[in-house]
Amino acid sequence: MNLRGMAVKVAVAASITLAIAGTSWANEIKGKVSVQGIKSAENIAVYVDVIPDKKFDAPKDHVVIDQRKMTFIPRVVAVQQGTTVDFLNSDAVGHNVYWPSISGNKKLAHNLGTWPKGEKKPFQFNDLGSVPLLCNVHPEMSGYVVVVPTPYFAVTDKDGNFEIKDVPAGKYTLKTWSEDGKPTTQAVHVSGATATVELTVKK
Amino acid sequence: MTDRVLNTSIAAILTAVVVVVGLMLASVPKTSAIPAFSRKYQTSCTTCHSDYPELNDFGEAFKKNGFKFPKDDESFVKEPPVLLGSKAQKEAFPGAVYPGEIPGSVPVAFRYSGNFTYNAKQPIAAGFLPRTDLFVPNTFTVIGAGSFGPTLSFWVDNDISADGANAAAALGDGYLKVNDLGHVLGLPKDTLNLRMGQFELDLPITQARTINLTPYDVYSQASIAPVSNTACVIAGSPGGTPCTTNNPLQFGIPQRGIEIGGYPNDGNFTWSLAFVNGSNNGDALRNSKDVYMRVSQRFNLERDPESRNAVQAAGPTGPHDHTSLRFGAFYYYGRNALNMDGSLFPGFGTVHETFYRAGGDFRFKYRHFELYGVGMYGHDQDLIPNTTTGLGYLRTSPVTFTGGFAQAEYWIHPWVIALFRYDFVDSPTDFSNGISRYNTRNRFSPGVQFLVRANIKVAFEYQHRWEQPVTLGSGSTVFFRPNGVVSGIDYVF
Repeated sequence: MNLRGMAVKVAVAASITLAIAGTSWANEIKGKVSVQGIKSAENIAVYVDVIPDKKFDAPKDHVVIDQRKMTFIPRVVAVQQGTTVDFLNSDAVGHNVYWPSISGNKKLAHNLGTWPKGEKKPFQFNDLGSVPLLCNVHPEMSGYVVVVPTPYFAVTDKDGNFEIKDVPAGKYTLKTWSEDGKPTTQAVHVSGATATVELTVKK
Repeated sequence: MTDRVLNTSIAAILTAVVVVVGLMLASVPKTSAIPAFSRKYQTSCTTCHSDYPELNDFGEAFKKNGFKFPKDDESFVKEPPVLLGSKAQKEAFPGAVYPGEIPGSVPVAFRYSGNFTYNAKQPIAAGFLPRTDLFVPNTFTVIGAGSFGPTLSFWVDNDISADGANAAAALGDGYLKVNDLGHVLGLPKDTLNLRMGQFELDLPITQARTINLTPYDVYSQASIAPVSNTACVIAGSPGGTPCTTNNPLQFGIPQRGIEIGGYPNDGNFTWSLAFVNGSNNGDALRNSKDVYMRVSQRFNLERDPESRNAVQAAGPTGPHDHTSLRFGAFYYYGRNALNMDGSLFPGFGTVHETFYRAGGDFRFKYRHFELYGVGMYGHDQDLIPNTTTGLGYLRTSPVTFTGGFAQAEYWIHPWVIALFRYDFVDSPTDFSNGISRYNTRNRFSPGVQFLVRANIKVAFEYQHRWEQPVTLGSGSTVFFRPNGVVSGIDYVF
């Protein structure tokens, strides 16, 4: 084998290797949220804030929030701005979904009305912020839709753990939203496969 | 006390009440106190009550279904019941006790209501009545209710305190109910139920679970013969003979007995037939039993056909009570008995006086507005001892009355309810007995209620009453109106 042929083979192999490496090294932000003065670290939204000069198309897939056994399920969802959420009623009682404001802005209040068991009503969330979901028949019911600016977000599990997948390398601002706690902000640098973050949410 | 000082005192008290109400409204709720059903389903009082204890459409359906959710009850129960035998034991019956269940936790709720009253000044000859009274009436009630499985339900309530215009100062309702007994006979659902014990009759408008601070006047009406013997004469009988009618029955007080009834067609039609002691909530005072029956029909006026058949109607801002109009009719018949021991009219034997109450009712609901009313006619046979023969009794003019009430309610907000009620009772015998200035007693009662929380209420009611006579020491008769303001706090947990 001459040198030229060998060099070509090495170059091809290297390219393939780099391509495979690029695929398996999908970056993610992992971490844990701990709380102070709050009952639970569950259902805290963690998301990458606005990225300058970067816009994202609204997702086509819908997110579903169910009303079952007089509970919003899931109780907290984070969605990218522009996402359509389908509100499903799986109960044999009358429900409705309304919100009195979005992040305190009462001009964005909305009421979806009433629909029977088995049916759903969609709503596209184009305004950033937290949306407190209520039912005017069952005031103990509550849920939240947290509308965030990027597709990089997650909601913590009952232990406060979260994973945000497919985050391109770069420097970002990570933010939290919690029903009972104050928002937190933390810078994060995604360079390797996994960026690990520890956050604290306080009351 | 001068009028100015009095007005200042009243203003200070009212200001204090307003401040207290304002503070209560402004405070941020952290937890909600919840009675028995709220605990069982982990849901707010407002799921069933529009202004507790008044029920909304869902609450009515819940109650009619034996205190269970109208559909898929098991999926909503957060406190599973305790099984008193596995379901397979049904197959072992009658070789084993039929399996049942009891609520997972003791289904007890408590209710306190204490009122502040301000009374209009009245002549001292009518008796001293303080101008104000803090927290009277004062009532504390224990309530236990729930279901013993799919077909049995129960309710027990007892007013522990001795006060309370609506308080029985004793057991109120205490009954066991067999739901959907008609299922055994192949009848449609809820066509036939059976209730036994002590209970409020299937009244057109409930008094036991009224939101009003005072009872309906016609429900408290008892039939008493004219006191004046000169009124109790008939042709040919000597004057001075007393009339006999003395019927203690009050429509609004629970009775002891057995009731069958049903609400087929999703409760649009209701019927009931009860056999009761007729001695209100006391022991039987005579051998005969009374009978009460009622029927009603609701016309559901919701336009959306799918929503019309649902428990609650679908609205643009959420489910709400159906727009509806209900009409009903009722009839109560009994035979009162007096002088069984001969102490009232020695030698004349037992007095048997038939009586009846008959009437109709309506209820209209539209969104945040309700209007309802009852009209009733009461008729009691009246007898006079036959002093001519010394035996038996002669008939005289019956003791009759007509009466009723109409009430309007409007939800200004889900937590602010404005009320206006009109009561009237037209009783010639009461007039002759000096109860009122005229035959007809009218009362106007505007009011407002605030749901400070789903389980805490502050209520105000003004009563503009009929004129009552009082004889002064000089022998002259003056008339006064015992008007007053009743306000109070009420909470359940």
